[in-house]
Amino acid sequence: MLTKENLLNFSHKNNESSWLTDLRIKSFERLEELDYPKMQRFSYQDWPLIKKEDFSWSNQADFSLKEEQKLLEKKGIILTDIFTASKKYPELVQSTLGSVIKHNEDKLTAYHYAYLNSGLFLYIPKDIILTEPITISLSPTQDTYISHLLIVADNNSKVKFLEEIQDKEKKASSASLMVELIARPGSHIEFSSLDELSQDTTLYFNRRAKIEKDAHVEWAIAFMNDCNTLGDLDSELVGEGSFADSKAIAVTTANQKVGINNRVTNRGPHSTGLINQRGVLLENSRLIFNGIGQIVHGAHGSKADQQNRVLMMSDEAHGDANPLLLIDENDVIAAHAASVGPVDKVQMNYLMSRGIPYDQAQRLVIRGFLGAVLDAIPNKDVRRKMIDILERKLIDGQIKH
Amino acid sequence: MATLEIKDLHVEVEDKDKKSKKKILKGVNLSLKTGEIHAIMGPNGTGKSTLSETIMGNPRYHVTQGDILLNNESIVEMPVDERARKGLFLAMQYPAEVPGVTNAEFLRAAINACRPKDDPISVMTFLNELDKNLDLLDMNEAMTERYLNEGFSGGEKKRNEILQMLMIKPSFGILDEIDSGLDIDALRVVSRGVNAMRGDKFGALMITHYQRLLDYIVPDVVHVMMDGRVVKDGGPDLAKKLEQEGYAGLRDELGLDIKLVDEN
Repeated sequence: MLTKENLLNFSHKNNESSWLTDLRIKSFERLEELDYPKMQRFSYQDWPLIKKEDFSWSNQADFSLKEEQKLLEKKGIILTDIFTASKKYPELVQSTLGSVIKHNEDKLTAYHYAYLNSGLFLYIPKDIILTEPITISLSPTQDTYISHLLIVADNNSKVKFLEEIQDKEKKASSASLMVELIARPGSHIEFSSLDELSQDTTLYFNRRAKIEKDAHVEWAIAFMNDCNTLGDLDSELVGEGSFADSKAIAVTTANQKVGINNRVTNRGPHSTGLINQRGVLLENSRLIFNGIGQIVHGAHGSKADQQNRVLMMSDEAHGDANPLLLIDENDVIAAHAASVGPVDKVQMNYLMSRGIPYDQAQRLVIRGFLGAVLDAIPNKDVRRKMIDILERKLIDGQIKH
Repeated sequence: MATLEIKDLHVEVEDKDKKSKKKILKGVNLSLKTGEIHAIMGPNGTGKSTLSETIMGNPRYHVTQGDILLNNESIVEMPVDERARKGLFLAMQYPAEVPGVTNAEFLRAAINACRPKDDPISVMTFLNELDKNLDLLDMNEAMTERYLNEGFSGGEKKRNEILQMLMIKPSFGILDEIDSGLDIDALRVVSRGVNAMRGDKFGALMITHYQRLLDYIVPDVVHVMMDGRVVKDGGPDLAKKLEQEGYAGLRDELGLDIKLVDEN
């Protein structure tokens, strides 16, 4: 059984501030009663996402930075592990951590805040425009890996953030990855991620942006994991004139099961929410892409548009691309498109007419199908890497001709 | 010397809307050798594009009778990629756009597809060839890093088809209305590309409505197609004669009972 004593014990061992210990405890206290989040037509309750017995954990930084940190510090940018940040900048962190994704939303969020053991805090001060992307590499720190990225872009700042998550050196049996983005008025955040966890783990993720007046957030997430995966990619358009473009791709192989909600909620008037999801299914895998566009009452003059497309590369695979539009306001523009189908025949014929064999042509066409996310990754090496992973997955899972 | 022979070719195409099959080619005979340029002319709806797509192996077209021989080997059962590796190339009327794959990468993949796996083209050789051919076609180097045909204008697509042909160096190039949608300047450039390939290792089959193209690429043989068959062969003068008298004139002269698609 999980106990409060154990949790308190480790929190003290890690010399945590009392407010952080309190957050853990109040999360823990809700853990039992809260339900798992619902995912339509997707069952995962038997997945080992929550430990049944007490376990040891420690606070550890889980990222390495790819560029000169000093350059960032000069501009007043804060980039440090979340526990150091909680001590050095208590007010900033306390007021923002858990403000976008609440600890008491469901069982998995409560578990995350109770046991979080890794993470990063990034703060971009007002009016700071970063042209070069901040690129980090994340990897599991311990067997139960619970990581939290908290990014605050202050008024009129601009940042591109790229993370790569891989577990080549150390595996985790379960991973809970959260990202909270706070885009203050007029700010601009481009967040991209290349997720490549191995099949040894089970992944829960929750990535959410709170987007204030005239702020702009773009997600580009490549789910290239080999593991069972469940999660939400979420944009809360709270401010007037705010903008979100939520792009996600997933390639599923073997017996992998992946369920993803990609949600954009228009709350502010004249806000724009775009969803573009692309999935490729191989072998016996299962992939559900729910695109959820919600326009709440009062968000007049808003726009919601979504595309959900999956390619079926095997008769044994099961794929769903479900667009859901929930509209509670009259003066809006909303549209969606969904498709489940095979690879484009015209493109295939064209590539093959130049001598390129079927299998290779198919891989090239699929790369184009996933191009929207690929193009958004702001680093050539990471893009190359993503293409390599894609090639490997496709070669392994492709039906040979 | 390579040869391409089309013997008594009958082809049907499936009509998706009507769920029926339509006969388009009704016994085409043609014989090409490397070193020769042939032109096929004919009115709309006569099967010219069907012929080129069928030679290349587009799976939409079904051969119901006859044969296509490349160097005396039947290719009708071969998939399109194998035909390409054996030396056929089709410059398409409407090239597909393939996002996510750059022109340069595509060209290398196509060239390497014809080479042994352990002997891909060297980067230097590839780049030298590419530079030379880009120059020849007045093309900007930047286009090699653009995605394959994506956002290209009609003229850029046509040039890109010829660039591919120059790089892949097939034995036979089939040019399907390579002149359509081109202004005079672009037509000149495209023709320069085709003429640069002329020689004893290359043969071409050009499909066109208009004689104009044949002023720039002078053919050795001209064939006229009507209603799914070749109805007349001749030299370059035949094209000039057609330009003056029209297809209806030739039809009447030959005493054929065919209704032309665009005839009132």
